[in-house]
Amino acid sequence: MANIYDTIVIGAGHNGLTAAAYLAKAGQRVLVLERRSVVGGSVVTEEVWPGFRVDTVQHRGELRAEVVRELNLMQHGLPPTRVGGLCALQPDGDALTLSPDIPTSVQSIARFSKADAEKWPRFVKQMDLIAGFLKEVYAHTFPRVPKVDPAEAPVLAQLGLKLRGLGRKEMMEALRILPMSLTELLDEWFESDALKGAVGARGVHGLCQGSLSAGTALLLLHHWANSNGLFQSTVSGGVGQMTQALARAAQAYGAEIRTGAEVAQICVSDGRATGVRLASGDEIPARRVVSAADPRRTFLRLVGPLELDPEFVWAVQNIKLRGCVAKVHFALDSLPEFRGAAGRALHGTIVVAPSLLYLERAYDAAKYGGLSEQPYLEITIPSLTDPSLAPPGKHVMSVHVQYAAYRGETDDWRSEIERRVIATLSLYSPNLQSLISHLHVLTPRDLEREYALTEGNLYHGEMMLDQILFMRPVPGWSQYRTPIEGLWLCGPGVHPGGGVSGMPGRNAARQILKG
Amino acid sequence: MPNTYDALIIGGGHNGLVHAAYLARAGKKVVVLEKRHLVGGAAVTEEIYPGFKFTEFSYVVSLLRPEIIRDLQLPKHGLTILPLPSTFTPLPNGDYLATWDDHDKTRREIARHSLKDAEAYDEYSRQMARMAMAVKPILGMIPPDPTALSPKDLFGLAKLGGHAASLSEKDFYNLAKLMTMSAADLLDEWFETEALKGTKSASGIIGTFLGPRSPGTAYVLLHHYMGEIDGVFRAWGFAKGGTGGISNAIANAARALGAEIRLNAPVAQIIVKNGRAVGVALESGEEIYAKYVSSSLDPKRTFLKLTDPKHLPADFVEAIRRYKIRGSSGKVNLALSGLPNFTALPGEGALHRGAISISPSVDYLERAYDDAKYGRFSRRPYIDCIIPSMIDPDMAPPGQHVMSCFVQYAPFAHEGGWDDAKREAFGDAVVDTLAEYAPNLKSLILYRQVLVPPDIERITGLTEGNIFAGELALHQLFFLRPVPGYTNYRTPIANLWQCGSGTHPGGGIMGASGRLAALELLKDWK
Repeated sequence: MANIYDTIVIGAGHNGLTAAAYLAKAGQRVLVLERRSVVGGSVVTEEVWPGFRVDTVQHRGELRAEVVRELNLMQHGLPPTRVGGLCALQPDGDALTLSPDIPTSVQSIARFSKADAEKWPRFVKQMDLIAGFLKEVYAHTFPRVPKVDPAEAPVLAQLGLKLRGLGRKEMMEALRILPMSLTELLDEWFESDALKGAVGARGVHGLCQGSLSAGTALLLLHHWANSNGLFQSTVSGGVGQMTQALARAAQAYGAEIRTGAEVAQICVSDGRATGVRLASGDEIPARRVVSAADPRRTFLRLVGPLELDPEFVWAVQNIKLRGCVAKVHFALDSLPEFRGAAGRALHGTIVVAPSLLYLERAYDAAKYGGLSEQPYLEITIPSLTDPSLAPPGKHVMSVHVQYAAYRGETDDWRSEIERRVIATLSLYSPNLQSLISHLHVLTPRDLEREYALTEGNLYHGEMMLDQILFMRPVPGWSQYRTPIEGLWLCGPGVHPGGGVSGMPGRNAARQILKG
Repeated sequence: MPNTYDALIIGGGHNGLVHAAYLARAGKKVVVLEKRHLVGGAAVTEEIYPGFKFTEFSYVVSLLRPEIIRDLQLPKHGLTILPLPSTFTPLPNGDYLATWDDHDKTRREIARHSLKDAEAYDEYSRQMARMAMAVKPILGMIPPDPTALSPKDLFGLAKLGGHAASLSEKDFYNLAKLMTMSAADLLDEWFETEALKGTKSASGIIGTFLGPRSPGTAYVLLHHYMGEIDGVFRAWGFAKGGTGGISNAIANAARALGAEIRLNAPVAQIIVKNGRAVGVALESGEEIYAKYVSSSLDPKRTFLKLTDPKHLPADFVEAIRRYKIRGSSGKVNLALSGLPNFTALPGEGALHRGAISISPSVDYLERAYDDAKYGRFSRRPYIDCIIPSMIDPDMAPPGQHVMSCFVQYAPFAHEGGWDDAKREAFGDAVVDTLAEYAPNLKSLILYRQVLVPPDIERITGLTEGNIFAGELALHQLFFLRPVPGYTNYRTPIANLWQCGSGTHPGGGIMGASGRLAALELLKDWK
């Protein structure tokens, strides 16, 4: 079979496309299979109602500079991204606005606490420092430990030096901070609930833990590393533009992309992946299969336990994927008024997380499989920066809702989530309700059904201390390889994990090319 | 100078005493200064009610290092450890879950609830024992400073790396997971029976201010697995005469080795002269001088109360201020006219000679935590009871009993502060909860002692009443305990040493801190 594909990539999300582009660029014959009718996975902009285009799952984020550069994404139509601010709405009608510009943030913080305002620049400096180290770690396949492969020793040494490079004090701080809880970390620095809530929210974003749970400082740093600190980027045309550009790049390098092609099975014979079988029944042989689907789906559904060692299956079954996020999208007749915030303040990310305790209370419900009465909300109004996303004068607004625990979801959740989100938002935006022309709710189950996110987990696996680095996706298999020869992983379920960075896809491709 | 010593130890708790004994054993002239009228610190037995001896604070023993028992010949000095064979968990539905000292009986009992769990139980126990084995060498190690480049630290790191590499890959990964995950997640991987997961995860929250679903609690669970009696892993025991019996045995050993122990001698301040500790001033005004001063008190008390901050680097003081030592548990000690009768398993039985645990499910513990994290004691708390008089008849008059109830959660910083009314309400919550399972309990109570964190702090001196002299959180372990850069028992002040549970390897009646600190000090002795 001369024209057999070198690589089949399962899933055309940003990581699948990134991996495909790198492999095609290296001269491989690549086929990308996407079950949906559009590429993008959870980084996608869709016309939910005529004239309204919505970032349906991920509504913020940006690809790592390496990916953009190495795949010439600018030439392939990646619009310039703009870093937005963070606007934290407060119950008393005030709002705290943070921005990449430190003096501006200091000014806004000072209205809440002079002491905190003074500390802010030092805090940002320290977080940048540690996040900078994480970025370095994220740029490599994480070496196998404890028995290090001599070939990888240099990487480990390099990371070790980088860590020491932080300086004695900062290195210790990094080691000390990573396992802490958000509350412990932020209480050491600040007194203002508004500030601690606004910063802390990022540390539980997409995670079924509360602000008092140990290890949440890690997720804050993870997001800090992936999105210029707290400040996520907006892409004109919506986040889907990123995956569109990736798809064009992949195709330009010669990769083939087939949508509406759901993979039903990864074909394995004698422990080797030989290709895939589509839901349609067609079989497509390939020398290599690279799955951007989450590890649980890849191994337990597409490969099947029979092909795998029981201990490995056990480990995969135990990957924690507890989805706790719902999405609510609004079509609005005009821009709602937010108490205490207007103009450019609304262009970035708007957050409802007035305190760390608010986040913890919201989590309490999820702990027992429920739905927060007063959820933590992250809101974007992309039509403010790109009017073309909605008809003239109208707006689209996307809300990330936390917590909604997948395991407890019942049939009435769609209406319950709608009720609670509108009720919560109305505390901050009195006229919102009157402006809603359409509304679309995605429950955790919807996210699983429509976007193949197992248990509705956005990151293909919780970003917790026991599921990162050499323990992601499962201990011993952090190097994109799998027990099935010729089967690789390239999604956020592997190092360096969730977010819109594209690094899992890039690292996987580079590892594959090393062979 | 009057009455000078080679070494002066502040605090006559088990670590202070172990420390003193090892120094005396090396021929040093040692004095231990204890503020109370008896030795033991949090490991004391007191006759609070006539004829009834209460193991007032800590109540079981397991972690006490065997090398200490050997080196100090503690059995010769009166240490007798009696087995605590079973754990009994009564359930709201009238049933119960128990683990007995008889392996097959335990298996059958668990199988009654879940065949799958009975299958998994053996492998789980084996793995935890293996993990405890893997951690044991680390407990005996002086934490190297990973940021320092001194030969000593590099050697320490190499030793650590060597140990990691010596583990099988599987054990290494399991250990890495145990160090980072939550007790609830760990147990979810193995079991389905709520009562089993509840009871097992309970040992992951003891002494912490976390719920069983918070990462980091699996390590605390493992920490409690490191119990070892006569080399038998995970053997919990009760010391004859209560935990005070342990303290007395160590004190006797120390005295026999020539150490002097002064009671009712509360230290007011550590005397520092041009950068080095030279002695202490007692509250009485008396000054006692020594070549070396070792504090077995918790870091906050040692450095923020007994030391004048002007002798300490500002960032060190800041680090000590940040040190987490939140008290989260209380103690209810009961004098009983008879035995509580548990409806789930009526009559007197083996259950009365073991631990009785109120931990029906992980959710139950989480709900108990929810109360505490918002500043109130748990209305329906986790309770771990033993009835010492069933194990050691000398603890109470014939036919009558003492019952020791460890209770979580009781936050040190209670909403509106603790007062007598709240203390009694807390005591009632405990007794009411127990009475749901043993209805006759209330009618048996002759006397009730309720201790909440501020009481524990007042009596034992443990800041915020934290039983581990500092939470066993990941960021406060090994080379981070108590604070980075000072994990080798030294302090910023020359000749001032730390030897309490606030240092590696931390809490529990282990004595390891006192021993390691002594060995390190002796190496350094000039």
